[in-house]
Formats: sequence, C-alpha cells, structure tokens
Amino acid sequence: MSLWFALSPLLILSAGGLLLMLADAFSEKHTDLALGAFMTFASAGIFAVALWIMGGVPAEVAKLVAPWIVLDKFTLFFMATLCLGGALSSLLAGGYLPEHGLDRGEFYALMILSAIGGVLLVAAGDFLALFIGLETMSIGVYAMTSFRRTNPRSAEGGMKYYLLGSFAAAIMLYGFALMYGATGTTALAGIRDALASGSFGYARDPSRLTTVIIAMAMILVGLAFKISAVPFHMWTPDAYQGAPTPATAFMSVVVKAAAVATAMRVLLVAFGDKFSSSWGAGWPPVVAGLAVATMVVANLIAIRQENVKRMLAYSSIAHAGYLLIGLVAAWGHGDPSASRNGKAAILFYLLQYTVTQAGAFGALILCGSKGKEAVSYEDLAGLGRRNPAVALPFTLFLLSLAGIPPMSGFFGKLFIFQSAIEGGFTWLAVIGLLNSVLAAFYYLRVLVFLYMKEPQPGAVEAVPMKSGYVTAAMVLASALVLYFGLMPGRSLDMAISAAQSLM
Amino acid sequence: MSAYVPMFLLFAVAATLVAAFFLLSTYMGPRNKGEPEHNTPYECGSESSGGRHIRLSAKFYLTAILFVVFDIEGVFLYPWAVKFRSLGLAGLVEMLGFLAVLVVGLVYVWKKGALEWEK
Repeated sequence: MSLWFALSPLLILSAGGLLLMLADAFSEKHTDLALGAFMTFASAGIFAVALWIMGGVPAEVAKLVAPWIVLDKFTLFFMATLCLGGALSSLLAGGYLPEHGLDRGEFYALMILSAIGGVLLVAAGDFLALFIGLETMSIGVYAMTSFRRTNPRSAEGGMKYYLLGSFAAAIMLYGFALMYGATGTTALAGIRDALASGSFGYARDPSRLTTVIIAMAMILVGLAFKISAVPFHMWTPDAYQGAPTPATAFMSVVVKAAAVATAMRVLLVAFGDKFSSSWGAGWPPVVAGLAVATMVVANLIAIRQENVKRMLAYSSIAHAGYLLIGLVAAWGHGDPSASRNGKAAILFYLLQYTVTQAGAFGALILCGSKGKEAVSYEDLAGLGRRNPAVALPFTLFLLSLAGIPPMSGFFGKLFIFQSAIEGGFTWLAVIGLLNSVLAAFYYLRVLVFLYMKEPQPGAVEAVPMKSGYVTAAMVLASALVLYFGLMPGRSLDMAISAAQSLM
Repeated sequence: MSAYVPMFLLFAVAATLVAAFFLLSTYMGPRNKGEPEHNTPYECGSESSGGRHIRLSAKFYLTAILFVVFDIEGVFLYPWAVKFRSLGLAGLVEMLGFLAVLVVGLVYVWKKGALEWEK
C-alpha cells in the first residue's frame, strides 16, 4: 500500500475543497455545489472505509508520517464518522442556504476545509499537528457561524466563538509549551514515555511535577472548550443559535466528534501514565466533575428554553457530558477490559450521535421555510397533523436523542453507562441516568407540540420547505438511526476494534 | 530558580532605568510648564483634526489580510530555497503542491474581485 492511498481521505477532502472554491468563483449558480460537497465527503468516507476493510494501514506505511499523523484504526473510524457528519451537513446546506437567501458557494468550501482540520485533529500524534488541525477546523467554523452577515445574532455568535476560541487555543498552546518544557518532546507517545519513565523522576524534581500539572490543566481547558463542557460552554448556545442551521449541525457533529477524539488521544495516550491518570492527582476526577457539571447544568437550562434550536444546542452540551462519562470509564482505573469498553462506547456513541443530531437539525430546517423559519416550540404546534411526513423523522431523531429504544441513542447511552459501571463508576452512571430522564422532558415536549397542540389563532404558521437535498438527508439519517438502533452489533464491533488500536 | 536570576536582574534594571528617566526629567528639566506650546504635538506630525472614531473601509482589512497570506508564502520559500539541494525531488514536489494551493487561492481572490479597489 502506498502512502498516497493511506492518506487518500485527507487528499480527497483537500482536492475537493480546492475544486469547490474554484467552482464557486467561476460559476454563477451555487445550488449544485452542495452535491459536489456531498460527493467529496462521501468519497473520502468510502476511502476511509476501504482502508478499514483492507485491515487498516500497514505499520511500515504508517511509520512514514508518524508521529505527526497516526494512521491507526481509531483514526480511520473517525475519518468515516466525520465524513458522514460532513456529508449530512452539506446536504442540509444544499436545501437551507438557497431557501434563506444565503446562497454563496464559500460555505461548502469552508465546510470541507474545516473538516480537513477535524481529520487532522483526530489523526494528530503530536501537539504541533494537533494545534494545526484544531486551528484549521476552528477558523472555517468561525466563518460559517457568522455566515448570515446581516443578522446580528449570527455576527454576535461568530464573534463570541472566535474570541473565546482564540483564548482557549492560546491557553492550550501555553499548556503544550509547558509540557514541552517539562518533558522535552511534543509527541504524544513521547510524552507518555517521559512521564512514565523513572528517570523523568517526579520524585526527584518536584518543580517538574508542578509544571506538568499546570500544563495538563491548561490543555484540559482547551479540550473542554472545544467539547463545550460546562463551565467552558458559554459560547455554545449563542454560536449554535446564531449560525445558519447547517453550520450548527456541522459544529455539533463534526467539531464535537473531532474534539472528543483528540481528547481521548491526549488524555488516554499522552497522559495515560500511572501518575497523570491516577484518581488522586491526575485528570480522571477532573473529567468526572466536568461530566457531572455538564450534564446537570445543560439539562436544567435546556428545560427552560423556548427556542428549539437553542434547546438542541443545550442538548448537544448535555451529550458532551455523557461522552465525558465514557472518557472516565475509558480510563477505568487502568483495568484493560473496562478501558476498552469505555473507549468503544464513546466511539459508538459519537457515530450514532452524528447521525441523530445532524438529523434533528435537518428536521428543524425542514419545518420552516423562507421568512418563516421554525425556531420556537409554538412554531411546531400542530405540524404532526398538518405535515406528518416532516414530523415523523423529527420524532425519530428526538426519541433517539432522548435514548428511547429501539432508536440508536438508547444503545449509545446503554454502552456508556454499562462501561461506567464496569469501570467502577456506578455513581456516574446513576447521575447520567437521572439526567437522561430529565432530558426526556424537553425532547418529548417537542413531540407534544408536534402532535397534541394546535397553533394559537393568528400566529404565523411555519410552512415546511420543499427540498430534495434535505429530504435525502432525512431519509439517509433516519435509515442509519434505525440501523444503529436495531442492529448495533456490527458497528459496535468496529468501535471495539478501533478502540483497541488507540495506544 | 537560579536560572531565572539574570531575567529578574533584567526586569530590575529596566524598571530602574524607566523610573530614573521620569524622575530626572521631572526634577532637572526646565521649569516652564503651563505654556500652551507644551500641549501641541512635538515637532513632527500635523495638527490632528476630527474625532477618533473614523470609519475605515473594510477594503483595507481585506488588502492587509491578502498581503499577509502571500507574504508568508514568500517567507516560507526562503528556507526552502536555502535547503533546496538537500531536500531533493521530494522537496520540489511538496513546494509545488504548496504553491498550487496558494495559486488556487489567488485565482479565487482574483475572480471574486477582491483585488479591485473600485467596483
């Protein structure tokens, strides 16, 4: 296998992004660019799957780009997941942008270029590559957030995201620098070896211990910001609400998956040594605290929302909390079986969450049309009776988000909580479970409005839009939600296999 | 800790120097304060007029950003040119790839009309 083939998903995305940029410059109409973006994501994803089926990238080929880019099965799994999320988002954009008069071709190029950053972030085996990936991903997303230029909310969201994101990136970069100062390397595996080796000597030189702990905390802040864990979530609701809905879908799916993947790599690989990952002095209790805070705060605020898009933003924060439980379980007191199951649970959760969340935003897009975008619960009142074909996929995704069987979200949560109990964190699983009950309230509230309420007299009714692109995304996402829910075995096996390659 | 002593020394010297300049000029300078002449801009520059909050055209920022992008390209070419022989064919191909990406950017910017000041 040549290196070209091993890197093909990245190369396809890069070429596709550049081509779309040129196509945008030279064409008058931009509606077909969505198809081009979809094809780019789809072919990159197919190549990632092909590499997986061929047994992954052979060690002697992967060695050529190591340690900057790690081409293990973990990377391939996430390449496919990110491409799936990107493909769904670009279909949503193909329907949403022309409908709402935002039909500018840059959106697709930005989306693909940002996804390249995401893939690089997932594959990064070195802090420098990681930072380049992070920034490439973020800059595209900042621009996409403020894409509705004339809308103050969009501008505010973009500005907030940009400023806070730059701060978080700077803090993280400071952490990288301190870590380099303490260990003398920026490679993740090198840092693990340095921290684990006796010669590094926490005991011999206590000042190094301080440096490492400060560096770890700073890096954790940067990661938590991108995952949007409480208390680093402040930008999320504004950015998610202000952004055009396809960009919101992209952010909550692709950006989140890439951030969680890199958090797994950094925490479980670089800080996977005995000391840094001990319950007494390392990151696991901090992550557990973040998980609890994230779930509780996000769910409590989500209940109070009157705007469905903002509710989905808080729900996306809450899901980050469940994922963080998985991260603690993936550490699992160093027990290999619990650790493997925890990692696999996160991977499976992200795979199904990608489809579900993109689908939910897509359904929200489908509920509104030009000038009458569906945003509040009231807008959705009675839609189930007026337009069952639109309400049905929405129902499917909301049930999946709430974690009700047989939707895929149920198994996602089940595996996470199961691995938490196996790893000895029954209390975390219980808190997660209680939060799922809490979350069901606001997901089911949408269903109540869809099916059991009628719009108030005189209210402007949201008229569902007609778009082949969005419909196609709905069909694809619904099919996948049911597939992951009814037959989770195969994808779970893949997740386990990917989890085992993470080291 | 001892490694930082020179740095602290540097800070101390800098602070002393600044304080000294201010104090010396305050106490030893000519005592003719209060003349209106002293409140005017010193020698260079013309009298300022108008408020501070002037709206600048966004085109300036665009031009500045484009300049930075293509300037960095030039900066990046220098170390490559110095190491050209030892990098061999692979280095040439990689640099061509890098330039191709930038050319795409240039074509895009050109075609979009960002290089034209007046539209």
